Amino acid sequence: FSLTAPLCLLTLLLLPLSLGAPISPAEPISQAYSLALYMQKNTSTLLQTYLQYQGSPFSDPGFSAPELQLSSLPPAAVSFKTWHALDDGERLGHAQGAFLALTQHLQLVGDDQRDLNPGSPILLAQLGAARLRAQGLLGNMAAIMTALGLPIPPEEDTLGVVAFGASAFERKCRGYVVTREYGHWTDRAVRDLALLKAKYPG
Amino acid sequence: MALFSAFQTTFLLALLSLKTYQSEVLSEPLSLAPESLEVSIDSARQCLHLQWSVHNLAYHQELKMVFQIEISRIKTSNVIWVENYSTIVKRNQVLRWSWESKLPLECAKHSVRMRGAVDDAQVPELRFWSNWTSWEEVDVQSSLGHDPLFVFPKDKLVEEGSNVTICYVSRSHQNNISCYLEGVRMHGEQLDPNVCVFHLKNVPFVRETGTNIYCKADQGDVIKGIVLFVSKVFEEPKDFSCETRDLKTLNCTWVPGSDAGLLTQLSQSYTLFESFSGKKTLCKHKSWCNWEVSPDSQEMYNFTLTAENYLRKRSVHLLFSLTHRVHPMAPFNVFVKNVSATNATMTWKVHSIGNYSTLLCQIELYGEGKVIQKQNVSVKVNGKHLMKKLEPSTEYAAQVRCANANHFWKWSEWTRCNFTTAEAAPSEAPDVWRNVKSVQGHCVVTLFWKPLSKLQANGKILFYNVVLENLDRPSTLKLLSIPAPANGTELTLDQCSYQIHVTANNSVGTSPASVIAVSGDPGNKEVEEERVKGTEDGFCLSWKPQPGDVTGYVVEWCERPGDPLCDVQWRNLGPNTTSTVVSSDAFRPGVRYNFRIYGISTERIPYLLEKKTGYSQELVPSDNPQVLMSNLTSYSFTLSWKDYAAESQPGFVQGYSLYLKSKAARCLPGSEKAVLSDDSICCKYKIDNPKQKTFVVENLQPASFYEFFLTPYTSVGEGPQGAFTKVTTPDEYSHILIRITLPMIFSILLIMILCYLKSQWMKEKCYPDIPDPYKSSVLSLIKSKENPRLTIMNVKDCIPDAIEVINKQEGTRKSLTETEPTKPTYLYLLPTEKSHSGPGPCICFENFTYNQAASDSVSCGHVPVTPKAQPSQLGLLTSSENGPKALGKNYVNSLGEIPAGETNLNYVSQLASPMCGDKSSLPTNPPEPALCSEYKTQMAIPMGLTSPPSITLLDEGEHDH
Repeated sequence: FSLTAPLCLLTLLLLPLSLGAPISPAEPISQAYSLALYMQKNTSTLLQTYLQYQGSPFSDPGFSAPELQLSSLPPAAVSFKTWHALDDGERLGHAQGAFLALTQHLQLVGDDQRDLNPGSPILLAQLGAARLRAQGLLGNMAAIMTALGLPIPPEEDTLGVVAFGASAFERKCRGYVVTREYGHWTDRAVRDLALLKAKYPG
Repeated sequence: MALFSAFQTTFLLALLSLKTYQSEVLSEPLSLAPESLEVSIDSARQCLHLQWSVHNLAYHQELKMVFQIEISRIKTSNVIWVENYSTIVKRNQVLRWSWESKLPLECAKHSVRMRGAVDDAQVPELRFWSNWTSWEEVDVQSSLGHDPLFVFPKDKLVEEGSNVTICYVSRSHQNNISCYLEGVRMHGEQLDPNVCVFHLKNVPFVRETGTNIYCKADQGDVIKGIVLFVSKVFEEPKDFSCETRDLKTLNCTWVPGSDAGLLTQLSQSYTLFESFSGKKTLCKHKSWCNWEVSPDSQEMYNFTLTAENYLRKRSVHLLFSLTHRVHPMAPFNVFVKNVSATNATMTWKVHSIGNYSTLLCQIELYGEGKVIQKQNVSVKVNGKHLMKKLEPSTEYAAQVRCANANHFWKWSEWTRCNFTTAEAAPSEAPDVWRNVKSVQGHCVVTLFWKPLSKLQANGKILFYNVVLENLDRPSTLKLLSIPAPANGTELTLDQCSYQIHVTANNSVGTSPASVIAVSGDPGNKEVEEERVKGTEDGFCLSWKPQPGDVTGYVVEWCERPGDPLCDVQWRNLGPNTTSTVVSSDAFRPGVRYNFRIYGISTERIPYLLEKKTGYSQELVPSDNPQVLMSNLTSYSFTLSWKDYAAESQPGFVQGYSLYLKSKAARCLPGSEKAVLSDDSICCKYKIDNPKQKTFVVENLQPASFYEFFLTPYTSVGEGPQGAFTKVTTPDEYSHILIRITLPMIFSILLIMILCYLKSQWMKEKCYPDIPDPYKSSVLSLIKSKENPRLTIMNVKDCIPDAIEVINKQEGTRKSLTETEPTKPTYLYLLPTEKSHSGPGPCICFENFTYNQAASDSVSCGHVPVTPKAQPSQLGLLTSSENGPKALGKNYVNSLGEIPAGETNLNYVSQLASPMCGDKSSLPTNPPEPALCSEYKTQMAIPMGLTSPPSITLLDEGEHDH
């Protein structure tokens, strides 16, 4: 009996720590921000590597096709006014949704390239790394949302059944859009997180 | 009647029509037309698949029919394809036919129709075409979707060099569309306003991942494209071959044709077909395949290897007899038995290749990595081969391989077996040499022998037997056994008359004996040493042939001459040889090697014939002698270097070079000019005789500076550059000078001593003392008078030069100005009652030194004044030029003429400059113009010119002398 009393006390003390205590959002924001910055350094390399392996016109210098979009992937481009007016929940929700879609699309592009460019381990490795980082950022964002007490949106299958009938050229285009949007969304996430960082200083 | 006729006509007409009807009904089943035509599309293969059936056939009826098919593009009138397709048709059978379009089917609308005809000999009357079916339209474009632009065909796979047609379908009429093949614009033809077609001819292989073709609108960023997978031409397999190792399985191999060049799209398959048995197998591997040999002893095989990919099929054929393609297995159970010193037997077994076949086996014997024997043997099952002429105690390797003896196809792999032959007794006597020394009456014999070569030893040498046979007492034998690997021994014998037998022994036996004798005479008689010149190839030694019985010659030398264990080497030579070349890797440049040549007598006693010495390569001397200089005179000196060890130099010293540096421009006779390595020029004496170890340098200049340096030289060059020794020759007269100067110095000293001893006398004679006024008798006279104020002025305490006259009468001043205008330097202030012109009682001291000092001491109130500036205030001093003279006279005169009884006379001295400390004691009004400043001018200055005449200048007694 004499032993159980302090144990109960300890449990009471530990409970609020382990469960309901609001964790400071500063730390996950900082972590996410660091990761996003790190990702930002590699996005242009990924895009260039990707294009280099696809042949003309993708590998042509200065190739750009901004109108190529994927309906399954939300575009990162947004007007500054709209972006600035977003509240934390919307901001994080958009990024969360985008990176969720990006992880799935990067998986798809990786599979496509394994088929189209099996002799390019560098590209495949970079695509794999980008996917893992996007997943990492997703996790960090979930931690921020938890810390801010925001609801975490459920995971969705953004790709659906549309992906498989594409021709080789369409798959190359699709990969281009995904790697490009990955860069754009990473840039946007850096700004999102910088904003949050300023808002919730450690 | 008319009614009847009308009825009849009607009936006839009806009948006719009935007949017509009947005939139509009868002919209708015979008009066999294709029905239920359906057209489907295979976009990937650009194929139209047609299917239809013929309904009107009788049950179980089979008819050969021909169908004419028409395909039109865009509009039905534009027929692009007509083909007759013959086939056998059954009732209700679905017939199929396909057509591959060059143009992608998405590019244009296609229409198909067909008609049929019976083409059967059974019913020749039905050979006419049926009606056309209606046009079946195929329009893929309508189902494409709403994208603005499409490019076709998608992901097409073609072979390199083939022709491909590509099109785009645009939904927009305004936009100009450009299309590119790997970045190069293509030019096509407009099929309709929305469709453009490009005909690519002879498409090249670009890369494994396909060729990109894309189109884009001029406005907007719409990009659409396709990837054309161009594969390399699929080649047929090469080097197709089959063989069997055990007559149970055939192994067929080939080299696959070059890769299609595409990474994933094309997979190749290989099938093996044997025509006699009709069997077929799909090969699992790309380059080989196994085929089970049928147990029914099929002898002949006709294989077809078919390689196939998506685009092409390639075949190669091979016809052979099974027994001609036998590649036997490697022999097994290979042993080498009955191994003796020279023979060995090899046995092995082979895998049987049929009941009656024999194998040809090849045996190779390797010794030291080389094939030394090769033999072919016919074998059924067991092989055996005797190997002869082997060397004892030698490692060998034997290997065997076999092939079909009747129909050679291939050798089997080798099977190897190593063995070592047995030992045999050594075949040769060891090569023995000796060295004899006499130590305290004993004879110390050192025996050397060379180890036997592998070929001579025939096994491992275990020990050497040395048998000593005393020649004086022939019955006495002494045996020594020395274990290997010794290569010598030392024996101490009581006297030196022995014959020594040396044998080498291995486990099998003893070698022949090597005999050498030692006699009482050690044979080291004095023989002139000759020099021999070594070359890169060694030393060429020759000697005079010996008259008489010589059984041979021995040349002996040391490989390491400086070493106590000098590594004795020797060489046995035949009796007819009188020269040999000794070479060795151990010979080093700059080392002197000594060679001794011995003759061997019939009693096997060696005796010394000749000595040779030489260098394999001479070097410059390694060090210079220590030179001693002696007998230095004004004209010569002698150099000697007797301790110099010329023998230990790395070359024969041929002489010495002496370098002499001097200031003289010319070289002395016997020398010549030489330039040193530091570009300095000197004279060089050459001493040609290496035994000369002294040298006299002559004809030098006295009292001159010389530097010399001596170095030996060999045939290669001179020794190292060293430091020059400096020497200065003495003066020619120096010895004379010494003889003169010493006595002179002595005599001068003597004179000085004498002078010293007689100094008082000298002083009196040469420079008598200046009289001290204090000690003067005058003082006592003054003191005795009543005036106590009177004193004698100290010479040193006097600041100005002045003579003060006390108790002077007026008349004297007057007389001064009047009578002495020409002697202005001195104030004749002293009362001179007798005469103004004569010397008065004035005392003057001439002091030539003090004035100068006074003139420098401005601080003391003495300002140097030039004579011209000299005192107007003094008034009396008008000219200083005559001063000294006059003073001198006056002074001398005054000394003698001071009257002892004068009472009014004070002596006022000329003074050196007063001490600085005396300033305070100076009169309040010191004379600004320095009266004592004039050099050599002694003045008696009336200090009291501005003060009352009774004032004395100084306080007596307070001033230093």
